[in-house]
Amino acid sequence: MREPCILVIEDEAQIRRLVRSALEEAGHRVLESGSLKEGMAQLHAANVQLLILDLGLPDGDGIAFIRELRTQFALPVLVLSARTTEGEKIRALDAGADDYLTKPYSTGELLARVRAQFRRNPQEQAATETCTRFGDVAVDLAHRSVTRGDSTVHLTPIEYRLLCAMLAEPGKVLTYRHLLHAVWGKSYGESNHYLRIYVSRLRQKLERDPAQPEHFLTETGVGYRFQI
Amino acid sequence: MKSFSCFDAPARSLPARLAWVLAACGVATLLAWPYRDLLDPANTAMLYVLAVAVVAVRAGKGAAIAAALLGTVLLDFFFIYPHFTFTISDTQHLVTLAVMLAVALLIGNLTLVLQREMASAQERERQTRALYLLASQLAGAATLAQVNELTRRFLHDTQECDSLLLIRQGEELLPVSKGASTPKGKPGYAAQSALHLGAAQATLDDSSQWLFLPLRGSTYTRGVLALWSSGRLLGDARRPLFEAIAALVAASVERLHFVEMAQRAQLQMTDERLRSSILSALSHDIRTPLTVLYGTAEKLAQSTLPLAAHEMAEAMRQQTMRLSSVVSNLLDMARLRAGDIKLNLEWQPVEEVIGASIKLLGPVLAQHPVQVQLPTDMPLLRFDSVLMERVLCNLLENAAKYAPPGSFIRITARTDRKTAHLAVRNEGSQFPPDKLEMMFELFERGDSESNVPGVGLGLAICKAIVLAHGGTIHADNDDGACVTITLPLGEPPLIEPEPEHA
Repeated sequence: MREPCILVIEDEAQIRRLVRSALEEAGHRVLESGSLKEGMAQLHAANVQLLILDLGLPDGDGIAFIRELRTQFALPVLVLSARTTEGEKIRALDAGADDYLTKPYSTGELLARVRAQFRRNPQEQAATETCTRFGDVAVDLAHRSVTRGDSTVHLTPIEYRLLCAMLAEPGKVLTYRHLLHAVWGKSYGESNHYLRIYVSRLRQKLERDPAQPEHFLTETGVGYRFQI
Repeated sequence: MKSFSCFDAPARSLPARLAWVLAACGVATLLAWPYRDLLDPANTAMLYVLAVAVVAVRAGKGAAIAAALLGTVLLDFFFIYPHFTFTISDTQHLVTLAVMLAVALLIGNLTLVLQREMASAQERERQTRALYLLASQLAGAATLAQVNELTRRFLHDTQECDSLLLIRQGEELLPVSKGASTPKGKPGYAAQSALHLGAAQATLDDSSQWLFLPLRGSTYTRGVLALWSSGRLLGDARRPLFEAIAALVAASVERLHFVEMAQRAQLQMTDERLRSSILSALSHDIRTPLTVLYGTAEKLAQSTLPLAAHEMAEAMRQQTMRLSSVVSNLLDMARLRAGDIKLNLEWQPVEEVIGASIKLLGPVLAQHPVQVQLPTDMPLLRFDSVLMERVLCNLLENAAKYAPPGSFIRITARTDRKTAHLAVRNEGSQFPPDKLEMMFELFERGDSESNVPGVGLGLAICKAIVLAHGGTIHADNDDGACVTITLPLGEPPLIEPEPEHA
């Protein structure tokens, strides 16, 4: 078995080096690539477990690259880009990226995002495990029960469906569209306020301080992220 | 091709009509003369009736009557016994005479009616053709001036009157052609009435008769077509034609209006795309070196360095982050100033954007615990979440910057009938009381000599964003400094209650 590693595709050599040294200090093995073409070759050749991708590479559009990559690979993709508009983020996430970090970034934040991706990556494990815990909340998927501390929390069917949709992909940025489709179905594509109301209800029931949530995080203008 | 029919216009001049009478009667007499002994006078009379009919058609009613009288005389003189006298021996010939007169009148009248109808049908056809021609010309007009010129030429050539296209600009009517001026006095008043009432108005002044026709568009009256002539114009039978012309002109004016709107939108789009691509290229080019700088400083600060060097690295890291936030503010301001901000307005709980802002600022607020106090029945508000996050971040960052470490920052909200009020206050230094109004102007700072970094861009951006939302922003002092923004409440969408068992 080839050794697992993280691939960094980024055309600025200095940024590449910084990312690499931060990841290596955290104990990861790192491969680098300055172009999409080379990156694709490395994806095929090595056992890449996480891709960190810059969107503005000289030999192509990063978002198209994600789309192409998704037809062959399931690995998590963390976008690291200087493009800061929400439209760009949504396009990258809808194309199949898992998370988005804008430049300049702090190393601590980068490592936290990488950790979050690795935590959720062993999906087989997540599928067999029926109980998820975050904060003082326990969700038992087998029995459809939610407890907080010692008491049972009553969730409505939609609240429960939303909770499940978020629990299914911890650490991943879930766009409004993705969540609306998952919980309400395709016909609610534009009803972002429904989603916001229900996320706010989940926070009221499950967060310590709903105004400063720790688990049901807002990605403003893009969607939400569930963080264990 | 000139059509030829028995209903062509009858001969008009007296000699011509007389000639028709004499010729028709003469021919009838000459034709019947050789058979005078074979034919009964009643049958000969038929020839004269035919002659009368021909005269009626060709020379009109009067000539027909003359022909009937002459025919009767000729019949009597040449064909009724005794020949060559005017004596009528048989009273039945009086009937012949009466019938011939009646036929003459009848045919004369009928011809007249038919000729009139014919003439008006031809006139209608001519007008339709002219209108069609005008319509096809107007369809090709690319400017209002061309519409004006085509209409003017058309009316001048076909209707012998002058015209001017007046276009509505707000409440005023402005002429389309440069040399022309809007009519004044009585005609000017009539023009305004036509515009506001949407109905044709006629008037006259010393030299001309005027007719003002409103140009009705699909949504509102787009202007007035003014017609004037020294000749007859008022109460004219041509009014329907004029109204049809006005309708054509109105359609053209409206078409040009929509074309212009479409072009403007297109231009604006290209403009916006260009602007946004320049700004995003600029953003990319600034952020890339900042990323390297920040990463390097961070790495240095984390490594084992002598204390002094470590402090320098840490300062470098902090300043780079600050620079990055200034750049974000500057680019945002450029976007906001560059023109109309496209707000992505959505109904949402204000609590969410507050939480997101606090989370985003993270380490900046490490020294300042934030207390959020919102009413439990706080309604959804309609705003652009990304821009509102920028407002709150700037306000929180400001509040933290000017407050002693460890002091609280408070966010409170309340609503009254139409407005939501959101306040961010700290326990730090107050705003200078004489500058409360100016705080939000670009590059204005509370204390221009202050050693706390910042360019005063933050509050200016807050103001631009809040104003774009139809809200207000103002600063005041209580225990510390307080900035309050207001947003209109509007009518939040209804969220249907969820059925308990779905």
